[in-house]
Amino acid sequence: MKEIDDLNLPDDLKYTEDHEWAKSEGDLVTVGLNDYAQDQLGEIVFVEVPEVGDTFSQGDEFGSVESVKAVSEMYIPISGEVVEVNEGLEDAPELVNQECYGGGWVIKVKPDDPLEMDKLLDKAAYLDMLKG
Amino acid sequence: MPERLNNNHKRSAVFLDLGILEYQRALELQLEHVQLKLDDKEAADQILLVEHPAVYTLGKRGGRENLVVSEDFLSAKKIDVIQTDRGGNITFHGPGQAVLYPIIDLERAKIGVKDFVYGLEEIMKSTVAEFDLKANRDHRNHGLWVGNKKIGSVGISVKKGICFHGLALNVTTNLTPFSWINPCGLSQVAMTSIKNELESMEDISIKKVKTILIRYFSEVFNYSIKENEPSYQN
Repeated sequence: MKEIDDLNLPDDLKYTEDHEWAKSEGDLVTVGLNDYAQDQLGEIVFVEVPEVGDTFSQGDEFGSVESVKAVSEMYIPISGEVVEVNEGLEDAPELVNQECYGGGWVIKVKPDDPLEMDKLLDKAAYLDMLKG
Repeated sequence: MPERLNNNHKRSAVFLDLGILEYQRALELQLEHVQLKLDDKEAADQILLVEHPAVYTLGKRGGRENLVVSEDFLSAKKIDVIQTDRGGNITFHGPGQAVLYPIIDLERAKIGVKDFVYGLEEIMKSTVAEFDLKANRDHRNHGLWVGNKKIGSVGISVKKGICFHGLALNVTTNLTPFSWINPCGLSQVAMTSIKNELESMEDISIKKVKTILIRYFSEVFNYSIKENEPSYQN
């Protein structure tokens, strides 16, 4: 596993305790797995995504990834409706490993309450949690 | 010496040997332990040891297509096919196979999923070495291989950082039911067992293998492990 100091954690993202990232872009929030998650999971071979139109509450399981014979659940950072899923992951799940903040994004959500973003961790708080 | 993962602090767990127990009941017990740990972060890590009556299990993504006999044939043999949510594809469990289910808070133990699976393979590798068998990992598939034959399998699930499901090592398992599937979704893969690999025909105690598995689990993951009082009678 990477050392904590070697993790790539962009300053402008929010993080969950379960190692997802969330980024507000206009009216939507893009969600993916962060560098810590993709590194400790190992080579990702399948990403199970929800259907467009599915609705979730903050912290709900919304999908899973399979790596090295392990299925790990993913949890949604913000309540709302899924408006887009990254269909490219069906053929190229390794994008989550290769560019977790770029082509490896997982879903886009129309949030019920954008202020829920304030409950998520910023980079410093997330790092404190990892070190704790 | 098995390769120890890079963990400095010693952790503790309790193990329970369930003897022979139906797959579904053992899964329910695992989920009960997962829930206990979700409700209480301080709840002890658990390791369950078990043998299952004959059963096929599918991975979360399936594997039914890797049955090479009809379901009617399996019904006649009284072997169920059970859908699970673990990683990996179809596999067979049966008497003579040592199955180890660790219900471990990987997050709290600071063990990554990739490292954990590697460690489970290491435990099986060290265990079969006690029988003078040399086994290795193989690029074709996770698990443990003796030459071209697979002797041990891994498949886990992770919920909120807590793992369940685990490893299965063939000790004296009847290997015939593996020929009715493409194990792990791979065609042309032969399975083997410790007994099958040993030239001597002496019986191998599965109890002894379970004890060795626990010892190496303790070494590889740096755990202090004690036996739990059996609270469950099967």
